Amino acid sequence: MASKPGAATSTYSPKIVARTRPPIFKDSDLDWTRPDGRGFHQCRPALLQTGAVSSASGSAYAEFGNTKVIVSVFGPRESKKAMVYSDVGRLNCNVSYTTFASPSAGQGTDHKEYSSMLHKALEGVIMTETFPKTTVDVFALVLESGGSDLPVVISCASLALVDAGIMMYDLITAVSVSCIGKSLMIDPVTEEEGCEDGSFTMTCMPSRYEITQLTITGEWTTPNINEAMQLCLDACSKLGEIMRDCLKQAASASDE
Amino acid sequence: MVGLSIGEQHFVKGGIAQDLRTDGRKRLTYRPIYVETGVIPQANGSARVRIGGTDVIASVKAEIGRPSSLQPDKGKVAVFIDCSPTAEPTFGGRGGEELSSELALALQRCLLGGKSGAGAGINLSSLLIKEGKVCWDLYIDGLVISSDGNLLDALGAAIKAALTNTAIPKVQVSAEVADDEQPEIDISDEEYQQFDTSSVPVIVTLTKVGAHYIVDATTEEESQMSSAVSISVNRVGHICGLTKRGGCGLDPSVILDMISVAKHVSESLMNKLDSEISAAEACEDES
Repeated sequence: MASKPGAATSTYSPKIVARTRPPIFKDSDLDWTRPDGRGFHQCRPALLQTGAVSSASGSAYAEFGNTKVIVSVFGPRESKKAMVYSDVGRLNCNVSYTTFASPSAGQGTDHKEYSSMLHKALEGVIMTETFPKTTVDVFALVLESGGSDLPVVISCASLALVDAGIMMYDLITAVSVSCIGKSLMIDPVTEEEGCEDGSFTMTCMPSRYEITQLTITGEWTTPNINEAMQLCLDACSKLGEIMRDCLKQAASASDE
Repeated sequence: MVGLSIGEQHFVKGGIAQDLRTDGRKRLTYRPIYVETGVIPQANGSARVRIGGTDVIASVKAEIGRPSSLQPDKGKVAVFIDCSPTAEPTFGGRGGEELSSELALALQRCLLGGKSGAGAGINLSSLLIKEGKVCWDLYIDGLVISSDGNLLDALGAAIKAALTNTAIPKVQVSAEVADDEQPEIDISDEEYQQFDTSSVPVIVTLTKVGAHYIVDATTEEESQMSSAVSISVNRVGHICGLTKRGGCGLDPSVILDMISVAKHVSESLMNKLDSEISAAEACEDES
């Protein structure tokens, strides 16, 4: 899993939207910086690699700042006998954390829903009719949790599915935005997630320009939602390009 | 379980396209809502909400507990939903469990707000009795008795009504205790305090069928949906939570459009619900 030479990290920060109105609050919200010194609309550097696990049908490793995730895809394999006949394929998703992923001892409690959220993010893009009667397993393991874990897991899972040769309509990219006070910051780290007023996680298909999954928590005004959506869409399409490059590199490397 | 023939499917879809649904409603009209409060004597607060054929009960129980070490200045709220197989055979086994946890997660998301507590429907700090030592734990349980679509909106309304109905006993804490001891508490039998539920949001689910979206979909209509977006809106018109169901992708502009429609619809729903709740409370006081 060591970095291949030449696998350059790239980033996918959205372009900063020119504000038409001057910001009303000048000093109070902007006098602090983010823990890792990024700008509010600047994403962490993203490192993506396919083929991290040799025994899996497909796998990918993603490293976004301190968030490190590995996803393997197994199958399609025959569905369990107990399951009734289905003319479309099944998708089975599981997200787990290593015990050393977060500083607190023991397992965190708020990760249980990640498996179902990953499932919901992926089910819309996979052409399940191409593998009837069978199941595809997607197992994600968070090696180190450094914030924005779910978006990283989702993006990484889409790479792993491509690596496994599962037919999909498009790549899937996910980005989250945190709202703290009046400012929106993209790709939050754990410290920022801990004190956020609201979070906005979006999963989209960059080429088809469609949103497959969206969750919002906390209190949001409509202009804030508009802004967050623009930021996420832009970042998602840029992340999509990075993922495409990563896949092209992997394909050309295997040709040689 | 809905097994619609192709003809019926066309009928449902065609009706929605022409803004005249199978039960005569328009796309953005709710079915009549009935609220009953105080239905469960054992709970601190309870309510039953009926929207058409959908029938749900929510109960609120309060228990003395300890605040978590991470948030010593806040009480705790847990939401559990039970989709009973008596409502629908598909709720038996894993299907019901999945739906229950999905509903509970969506409700939790819109009731508890962000990590810092912004936009929360329930002010967790108001549940605190003594910092780091004693607080109220609220257990919100929802039960689906009968299901005819739009469960999330019904459960959201039932929880709002149940919280309005909730009375929590006043608690006296003995002032002087050492840092490592639990203080003695005295729970009053006579004095109760009520919750301020004005900030509890309502949930509006917009179900997309074909090119249009509808509110308050029945099971028949839900079987034809491509995706659904549940948006919770509070009284001042801010969005407190959003969840999307269904695998189909949506264009970003459609989602923004849905949000503005949901805000508009939520105003009338909120007013309707408030008047129903106060009528139910008045009715309970008389009896």
